[in-house]
Amino acid sequence: MTPIERPGPGGARPGGSRDLAALIPLVARGDAAAFDAVYDLLAASVFGIVRRVVRDPAQSEEVTQDVLLEVWRDAAKFDAGRGSATAWVMTLAHRRAVDRVRSVQKESERERRSARPDIPYDEVAEAVESSLERERVRRCLGSLTDLQRESVTLAYYGGYTYGQVASLLGVPAGTIKTRMRDALIRLRDCLGVTQ
Amino acid sequence: MKNQKPGQELHTLAGAYAMDAISAADRARFERHLAGCEQCAQEIASLREATARLAAATAVPPPPGLKERVLAAAAQTRQHAPEAGEAGVLAGRARPRWLSRRLTIAAAAAAAAVVAAAAVVFGVSNGSMRDQLSQDQASSQQVASVLSARDATMMTGKVRGGGTVTIVMSHARHALVFTAADLRPLPASRGYELWLIGPAGDRPVTMLPSATMTGPVVASGLRAGDHLALTAEPAGGTARPTTPMMLDVAL
Repeated sequence: MTPIERPGPGGARPGGSRDLAALIPLVARGDAAAFDAVYDLLAASVFGIVRRVVRDPAQSEEVTQDVLLEVWRDAAKFDAGRGSATAWVMTLAHRRAVDRVRSVQKESERERRSARPDIPYDEVAEAVESSLERERVRRCLGSLTDLQRESVTLAYYGGYTYGQVASLLGVPAGTIKTRMRDALIRLRDCLGVTQ
Repeated sequence: MKNQKPGQELHTLAGAYAMDAISAADRARFERHLAGCEQCAQEIASLREATARLAAATAVPPPPGLKERVLAAAAQTRQHAPEAGEAGVLAGRARPRWLSRRLTIAAAAAAAAVVAAAAVVFGVSNGSMRDQLSQDQASSQQVASVLSARDATMMTGKVRGGGTVTIVMSHARHALVFTAADLRPLPASRGYELWLIGPAGDRPVTMLPSATMTGPVVASGLRAGDHLALTAEPAGGTARPTTPMMLDVAL
């Protein structure tokens, strides 16, 4: 007999944002199966960005677990009118990662400074999920000016404040601030983000 | 962007804020500003869609065992209730109700799709499906070739936005047969486009003739690691997917 398979939620990729938007309200009602599916859709992206910012594997795992639990606990707070579910979770993940880094920043600041040259945008290529998505992000980062790209890379992937980015690059803070906004607007348009 | 309205200087913090690249004090200041500026809130929301894509590009498999720990912890964690005034956020949107109904009938619908496709695969009498097969003379040999392959595997999937698809694939024949039912109609300017996506790149298969089509489409050139995807594109078709995937099945 021919085997019959049905693709389950685990077969979906992180790009399945429509699925996710439908799953979050179920999670808010305590649906464990829906949360299981949300994990499959998001855990790789959450762990990816947390690890990129935090670096330390054990701490990254802790933060990732905290973020996913926060999704479970606060699913009722998600408002689809204010953005996609993916953006909601990634914002949460990035902020928790940055909080963790800054809480231990005094000890590690010098190492992180010396590690700066290791954060070229090409590093994005090490990700394993969704070649299509990764390629688009790489192409769009490549379309920025050097200063825009360095500002975004240091801030978002490095977890630095704009003031720190300014002193790392030797550029006035006001300039970095506007470059960051210009860069994200350009990225948003390049990536075809719809609102 | 050069007009100097009050708050304009503060507003240039939008990029840094969306990337969490500001101090706690600046964050609090900016959030007070956001509370009274709907346009700014919208800009932040759109910038965060972009930063979410930066995050997704770093995806790596999480450590083994993490899933079990997270699910176990969730089972012991009480959830926060929605804020009283915000009940409408959930209840006012059609999707959750539609979804819960979808979930209750999902098994039955999927089973029906499998039965319909099985009729084709195994030659069981089924008027409409057999008619569609015979109408599509150009590809009937290809269809037969896939259906009769020893490794023929059947799968069904649900399309986001509505509709079911049935796929019979054969890696030995490097091809699959695709049928769809109950797809949501699109405006005349747009159509459903079928894709093979994988290590070999993204290849358009074909535009579906219409949303109501249920007849078979053959996709050849199937390779290991491919996914089958469906998107809504301009009616003439595009070379690469430009809209979110409405279906993504690992083959």
